[in-house]
Amino acid sequence: MRPPADAIATLSLIVGAIALLIFIGVEGALVYAIWRYRAARHVAGEPATFERNRRLEIAWTAAPAVILAVVFVLTLGTMAEINGAGVAPAMRIAATGHQWWWEFSYAGVATANELHIPVDTPVDLELTSADVIHSFWVPELGPKMDMLPGVTNRLRLFARRAGSYDGQCAEFCGIEHAWMRIRVVAQSRAEFDTWLSAQAAPAPHGSEGERVFLANICVNCHAVRGTSAAGTAGPDLTHVGARTMIGAGVLPNDVARMRAWLADPERYKPGTLMPSVPLSDADLDAVAAYLVSLR
Amino acid sequence: MRSWPHRKNAFSIPKPSIRLSPCTALSFWLSLAGGIVLYFSFLAGGAPDTGWFSYAPLAERAFAPGTGVDYYIVGLAVNGAGTIIGAINLAVTILLMRCPGMAISRVPLFVWMTLITSILILGAYPALTAALVMLLVDRGLGGHFFDPAGGGQAVLWQHLFWFFGHPEVYIMILPAMGMISEVIPVFSRKPIFGYAFVAGSSVAIAFLSFGVWAHHMFAVGLGDTENAIFSATSMLIAIPTGVKIFNWIATMIGGRLRMTTAMLFAVGFIAMFVIGGLSGVSLAVVPIDLAVTDSYYVVAHLHYVLFGGTMLGIFAGAYYWFPKMTGRLLGEVLGRWHFWTAFVGLNLTFLPQHWLGAVGMPRRVFTYAADTGWGPLNLISTIGAAILAIAIAIFFVNVVRSLRSGEIAGDDPWDAFTLEWSTTSPPLPENFATIPAVTGRRPLWDRKHPELRDAR
Repeated sequence: MRPPADAIATLSLIVGAIALLIFIGVEGALVYAIWRYRAARHVAGEPATFERNRRLEIAWTAAPAVILAVVFVLTLGTMAEINGAGVAPAMRIAATGHQWWWEFSYAGVATANELHIPVDTPVDLELTSADVIHSFWVPELGPKMDMLPGVTNRLRLFARRAGSYDGQCAEFCGIEHAWMRIRVVAQSRAEFDTWLSAQAAPAPHGSEGERVFLANICVNCHAVRGTSAAGTAGPDLTHVGARTMIGAGVLPNDVARMRAWLADPERYKPGTLMPSVPLSDADLDAVAAYLVSLR
Repeated sequence: MRSWPHRKNAFSIPKPSIRLSPCTALSFWLSLAGGIVLYFSFLAGGAPDTGWFSYAPLAERAFAPGTGVDYYIVGLAVNGAGTIIGAINLAVTILLMRCPGMAISRVPLFVWMTLITSILILGAYPALTAALVMLLVDRGLGGHFFDPAGGGQAVLWQHLFWFFGHPEVYIMILPAMGMISEVIPVFSRKPIFGYAFVAGSSVAIAFLSFGVWAHHMFAVGLGDTENAIFSATSMLIAIPTGVKIFNWIATMIGGRLRMTTAMLFAVGFIAMFVIGGLSGVSLAVVPIDLAVTDSYYVVAHLHYVLFGGTMLGIFAGAYYWFPKMTGRLLGEVLGRWHFWTAFVGLNLTFLPQHWLGAVGMPRRVFTYAADTGWGPLNLISTIGAAILAIAIAIFFVNVVRSLRSGEIAGDDPWDAFTLEWSTTSPPLPENFATIPAVTGRRPLWDRKHPELRDAR
């Protein structure tokens, strides 16, 4: 199938070309009227009264109607195409919007903010929201679709080339709407399968950071599979170290920045629902190192 | 702006003045009170922080715990009550209180547009009022209209809001279209071309505007059938809109154009509104809408309609009727500066936003990543906005200077067509000493040119 973004681009070029022609025609007529009938060119006296013409009125009612009928037929065709009509999805991924991060679930394997998909594969996102209305939008991959609480919407994605595609929430969802970024990583099927099996594995045990993490309020909101942490209000952290960014895009992911983020999330994302946890410097070091090690 | 028709209509269709009507006063003071309540929220602990559209459930108590949204609800409901009363007042005045000879097929087009606008208000505002009351119940009394956890529906707010919100666009643009429908004929020295079609196309727009609201909701997931229906109705509305534009241009063709500041703004309206109209059609194309809705493309579109259209039209009306209101002309030199800075400013501000939206810049974000490359176009936009601010400042300087020392206008400075120009500037308290005779659509023209009297 053709990527939805390509289908939209083609339709946009056609509609854009029609609009450009109409624009040139109408603005041209306007400029002509101003130039040709300006008072300086006019002989004395009042101009002739020419105030109605039924044929003209019918013509400039019918002509736009015909053009719009053509545009409407094209619209219906592209609507069916970007919906993935006739092509069954090879994969379904559940996507849930939260204030202000994204939850993705591959048949129960949860991750956050970075969506991995295989290339050349029709993927359907099943979209919903845990709180207010969000909208999933990665411009290069296709149209946007809203995420509403209590409703599941479907969005067809199709990436032709491997690579990283950025997008973000497109429906105003509160103070940190601007910092609700998405990164889609499109990979070859083999790379994707490797990534998914790594994500499905539980987290390793035994570090000092794990002990501090499990002993604090972190576990109220976050899950790390393979441990007792099973909170669902915040992102699943089982493989948080494998993500490129922290906080849905606010910071690159490394130990130093993870430590800074944990020490004071409000500084980097004012209004975030993540509290700053009062930890000693040593504990902060340990938890930051632990989280980034979860690959 | 909405108080303007009260004043203007009173002497376009002369009859004992509506200015003293308690209904007009109630409408004005309620509208003002609603606005004050809304602005008072800034002092009372925080402005409404959920956007002008205030989507549920973001506007529910759980996600907007401050008082801002409560002020929004009360302010808009009170303001809406004032608007509804004003609309009833204007519609009744136009339908029932015309002077002898002033058939409905002869009233000035500005009055026609005011009538259509009033009818739109009566259909649209109650939907908003109902939605506001429901939100108030949710927030204050633990209701669940928009709360899915309690059996409500988040999308219900959007249906009610846009059932109001789209007619509201025409409520804002039709009076300005009426203004330029007065200005263009007078400065072309011709009657309006296709009077019946300009008036009738407004009726068509009004009718259609109640059937297009879900084009604001294509990305909500209503389904392809619903989206296709609303796509079709939204495209249909382009037809009567185009009819208006063609008739305005046809009015100019064959005329003798006096490019006064009022006429410049009227022509600017046509030139800019065409852009907003064409981008509007592209937004009715569902797949394109799904790509660019909630992006800067929509911001560009709506500003070409509401600034390029409504604001330029209001400025045309301001330069045209200021002498009638005050007895003095607005300065033409400053007027030209005002027009050209506004024209350049609005295009610098809003034209680049089409590209920004098309390449993926969403609305309502306070920051974006540097590597998006959106910086330069946003900088141009910012410069344009500063130029627009200068344009508005020039207008206010012009108003103040003209009020003090502007050229004395006389009764009829534009050699105009309609009755308001037959009385003094500013008008008498009762507008006319005696009720004037009306024999056609241009009563004053008929009086000045008995040999060239209009046929209808």
